[in-house]
Amino acid sequence: MLEIFEYDFMQRAFFAGMIIALLASVSGTFVVLRRYSMISETLAHSALVGVAVGLVAGFNPLWMAVGVALLSAWLIEYLRSYFSLYSDAILAILLSGSLATAVIIVSLGGAFNNSLFSYLFGSILSVSNEDIITILVFGSIAMVLLLTFSKELYFIAYDEEVAQTSGIRVKLLNFLLVSVVAIIIALSIRVVGSLLIGALMVIPTIAALQYRVGFLKTVLLSIAFALLSVACGMILSFYFSLPSGATIVLCVISIFIVSLVINKK
Amino acid sequence: MRFKIPIFDVKNLSFVVRGQNILSSISLEIFNGEYIAIIGPNGGGKTTLIRLLLGLEKQTFGDIKIYGKNIKNFKEWKKIGYVPQRASLVDASFPATVLDIVNMGRISQRKFFSSMSIQDKEAVQDAMLKMDILELQDKMVGTLSGGQRQRVMIARALASKPEVLILDEPNTGVDIVSQKNFYALLSKLNKEENITIIFITHDVGVIADDIGRLFTINQKAIVCNNPKEALSCEEMSVLYGIEAHLLHNHKHEH
Ligand SMILES: Nc1ncnc2c1ncn2[C@@H]1O[C@H](COP(=O)(O)OP(=O)(O)O)[C@@H](O)[C@H]1O
Ligand SMILES: [Mg+2]
Repeated sequence: MLEIFEYDFMQRAFFAGMIIALLASVSGTFVVLRRYSMISETLAHSALVGVAVGLVAGFNPLWMAVGVALLSAWLIEYLRSYFSLYSDAILAILLSGSLATAVIIVSLGGAFNNSLFSYLFGSILSVSNEDIITILVFGSIAMVLLLTFSKELYFIAYDEEVAQTSGIRVKLLNFLLVSVVAIIIALSIRVVGSLLIGALMVIPTIAALQYRVGFLKTVLLSIAFALLSVACGMILSFYFSLPSGATIVLCVISIFIVSLVINKK
Repeated sequence: MRFKIPIFDVKNLSFVVRGQNILSSISLEIFNGEYIAIIGPNGGGKTTLIRLLLGLEKQTFGDIKIYGKNIKNFKEWKKIGYVPQRASLVDASFPATVLDIVNMGRISQRKFFSSMSIQDKEAVQDAMLKMDILELQDKMVGTLSGGQRQRVMIARALASKPEVLILDEPNTGVDIVSQKNFYALLSKLNKEENITIIFITHDVGVIADDIGRLFTINQKAIVCNNPKEALSCEEMSVLYGIEAHLLHNHKHEH
């Protein structure tokens, strides 16, 4: 069929991309409804610290990214729930602090080269079999957790206090959500890149919200938009030799604009 | 005695924020089957009292017992339905149909991995029937009127089959006809289903015949066991200030 699938690396990239589209859009629904977009940006930059450590010390960068993103997520949630210390300013400090730390680690280790660059903007050429396994393992855990608690998370997004007073363990589930988001972001930076993953998480849901439909349909639309934009983005990036993450993001933005226009009253 | 089981037992409750007394040594008991109205001036601490009772704020001093248990150890929150003050002001873009919202009332009862059981579905249908919103169930909440939204929020609370229903000024921005039906419904829930009702309202004159007791909250609490008498008591006007007179007149109109 398409010559794009004649290459092993493209098959891997496509497979990884589809899984990430699914993970990012489902978790993205909760990220948008909880207004956590800034948290996801921050986590994407924290994950780079893990990548940097991995590159310099010779560990698997993706595993390290998952670890550091998780620690960062817990720090954010801890400051928020136990010290009521939460603001865009704190997230901005964490975000730029992480990026700076990652750059310093990599340049001290003498590895400031294409490797880190490919994690900033994503690179389909670099998806290995090992990456696919990592994405599958952590991705399944994240997805199972999300689906198991999706109703509770939806209730919390709707009204955190009412959810709490009806017996839902809000603090625990908030920790769970940021943890799952951290894992998914860390997994995604291989394909989409840490600068662009926030867009893939958030924009499919924002596009879906334009249709003003119930929760389930919103999630399904958001998944469809993410899958479509990753597929289109990868195909375009293959035929026109464009960077995959950037192409994917422009595709998802196009879908958003179309959704906005056709739903405008 | 009709009222045997104390649901809320509050002793010497105080809430202080940055050196300011919001509530001072409040003591009161609320019993099973009661219909209690809470009134008081804006900023008097009514919402704060409810939030303390629900564990959303932590008291500075004093004890709260729910169903005989210290609030810290109380676990059966599904027995208490809560409709907060700004409940009907939902974000118009929130992706929820009426059914999505009422279903939330069943979430804390279900077991993990299981979807809605037949009982869950029945409870949801029953709550929507009571609030007369069955025909709205597939509508987006953001498109409803204030009165319709109010009924959705109460249906969500009712879907969990609560023993206690706490409503914090739920009728802001609702037209008079809807309000009258609403008051009749509250009274019916209280009388026929023995649901304990705690209702923060400014319209106490209208519901004076329905309610059992009246609490006035203005930093301190005054409990009036006979609300009709209470409305004319001098203590009340001291606490309630100028609004007591308005309330008084209001009542005579009806
Ligand atoms: N957590 C809090 N922090 C600071 N001020 C508070 C807090 N909770 C309540 N207050 C203050 O307590 C007062 C009573 O508020 P509230 O309980 O909402 O009154 P009401 O519901 O009777 O209008 C208000 O002045 C409010 O600003
Ligand atoms: Mg209030």
